[in-house]
Amino acid sequence: MTEPARCAASCKTSMKSTHATTDMARSSRTKTWAITTHFIRRELRSRYLGSLSGSVWALLQPLMQLAIYAFVWTYVFKMRLPGDDAAQTAIVPFLALGVWPWNAFSEAVMRSATAIQDNAGLVGKVAFPHGVLVVAASSASFLLHGVGFAVVLIVIELLGIPVRFVMLPLALLAFAMLYVLALGFGYLFAATQVFVRDLSQVLGQLLPLMMFTAPVLYSRDFLPERFRPWLDWNPFTFYPEYFRAKLLGIGSVEIGAQIVALCVALGVYALGRMVFRRLTARFEDFL
Amino acid sequence: MNAVATTNGIDVPLVVARDLGKAYPKVFRPRDRLRALGKLLLDAGEIESVPVLRDVNLEVVRGESLGLIGENGAGKSTLLKLLTGVLTPTTGSVEVRGRVGALLELGAGFHPEYTGRDNIAMSAALYGLGADELRACLPEIVAFADIGRYIDEPVKHYSSGMVVRLGFAIVAALKPDLLITDEVLAVGDESFQKKCVRWIENYLADGGTLILVSHSMYHIQKLCRHALWLRQGEVAAVGDVFDVTQAYLAYHERKTVGTPDRSVIAAQGIEFQLTQFAVNGSEQDAPTVLNRGDALRLTARVRSRDGRTPVIAFGIMRADGTAVYGVSSEMDGVVPRRESAEIWVAEIVFDDLALLPGTYTIKAHPMDTEGVRLFDTLERGIVVRGNTREFGLIRLPHRWNDALQVELPQNTPRTPSSSRA
Repeated sequence: MTEPARCAASCKTSMKSTHATTDMARSSRTKTWAITTHFIRRELRSRYLGSLSGSVWALLQPLMQLAIYAFVWTYVFKMRLPGDDAAQTAIVPFLALGVWPWNAFSEAVMRSATAIQDNAGLVGKVAFPHGVLVVAASSASFLLHGVGFAVVLIVIELLGIPVRFVMLPLALLAFAMLYVLALGFGYLFAATQVFVRDLSQVLGQLLPLMMFTAPVLYSRDFLPERFRPWLDWNPFTFYPEYFRAKLLGIGSVEIGAQIVALCVALGVYALGRMVFRRLTARFEDFL
Repeated sequence: MNAVATTNGIDVPLVVARDLGKAYPKVFRPRDRLRALGKLLLDAGEIESVPVLRDVNLEVVRGESLGLIGENGAGKSTLLKLLTGVLTPTTGSVEVRGRVGALLELGAGFHPEYTGRDNIAMSAALYGLGADELRACLPEIVAFADIGRYIDEPVKHYSSGMVVRLGFAIVAALKPDLLITDEVLAVGDESFQKKCVRWIENYLADGGTLILVSHSMYHIQKLCRHALWLRQGEVAAVGDVFDVTQAYLAYHERKTVGTPDRSVIAAQGIEFQLTQFAVNGSEQDAPTVLNRGDALRLTARVRSRDGRTPVIAFGIMRADGTAVYGVSSEMDGVVPRRESAEIWVAEIVFDDLALLPGTYTIKAHPMDTEGVRLFDTLERGIVVRGNTREFGLIRLPHRWNDALQVELPQNTPRTPSSSRA
């Protein structure tokens, strides 16, 4: 009785089925793109943009954050940039170029890490490329903080501190590289999180550690000479230094370091993709 | 999901499953999960797992309607998840062509925090619908779901019936080539059930293909032409919907009222106990299929506690309970063969079976030596196939006197199911 249930077809078949062909022509790539944009929009809305005041809030929030940082670093910590001629206010753009990339990066990684688990209900009911959840989580973070970043740059310029906007394309390129790096970590952690549930807790502890071992809130020059090369082990170190060098002309980043950073970003991305690809088929078994 | 043979593709199977099997990993402690992760990443060794589905072979052609039946935990949902691609098979392969609309275990993966409308948009994106297409079919979806103002409320405020209404409305609007639904009809209210059934009937009439899971044999028989019965992860029976559902119901009948549990009887140690009952050598619960005129061979083994010779009786009943024929070894003056100290075997053969096509239940009973008391019962099903327009239960030997033999009229071709009616 277990032979295939090969069953006679009804002859009514031919009537239908013309509409199907046009649907099939829609390539799976466009479909994946449609799903991705849908999830990105949903991500964005679920953060601030859902409420009426949301879009205003998305612009105000980075400005308020910058104002608080500026106050604390200028009046409480009394931190000044190296070089005696530096103005007291120069610390503000210096911080901004560390903090915004970091916010985008860390939020992207954290959100991506739980992207699959948070959507377990969907993963268990509909077949779709799971990677879009990670891409959506990372992209939404970079879009939001990218806008914040732009707002902050404009405000800095308006405050009278010159920003080298000619270098903006290079900075955007670096921002894109950072996105690739975050996406790589995102894939890696999202896949692992399905199997190791405490990963997101551990990440919550590790990410601040990563921030403080990179020159986000300080400059490499503040460190004693012998500690300075250690910073290069942190994959994030490159980004604030590069942004500061290009946009503010503070310090410089050698071409070698740029190549290394690019390789690290692509390498982490490749690793993350590989791990994700290998595990994606088994997500539903372990969720 | 790409190339699909359409207009002339009457015989192109939409779904092909070969030796399909699924085992879920055994993970109870975090350590197991970590080990599983390592094994998956390094391609090192098998993960310890529990099989839930084994050796399912299935082919569903365009225009076909297949009902999946089975007890809870038989693997129906797992099979659907494998067919829709939500799960990856452990063994074997699945191939599905065409646009699939699936409604698995209530809801289409809706997000509870978002409104009905948002979730419609999400499903549309997941099914690859463009914004314009969505706009076009949104009113249709909203109208079909018919949940009033709830369409703009978060799905977490919905009743389970409303979730299914919305889910079904979306799937209906997609006009899929293959519709896969899991227990959808069980949740909706009467009027929605009717609406769904009507919709599915139209869909099937237009050449749609359906795979339906339901515990309602009424719905299965109404909507499906074929059925597949899964039991403990294996295909117990597959074929015409009436044959399979009857076998399934008979199995439940036996399970609930008949002999409660074979192992309990064995433990109680009644005087005469059936240890085996085979129909043409098969001991499966699934009905044995015969053609009219085949030989029917029934074999029963009886354990006699005190070593006394049992009488063994066999009976044939129509599926509705009408007795057709019954006979015992004592009536025919024969004695079962003694196989060992405690075991006795009787085998009866009906050559050239006179039963007309249909579904029958066969029973075996051991009786005491005097043929007075009846001790145990086992049942098996048989399905007799054949094309005939004769009616009744059995063909009686007969001849026509003084009649001219003309050529046999060509019987209109009939499927086995319709010939039973």
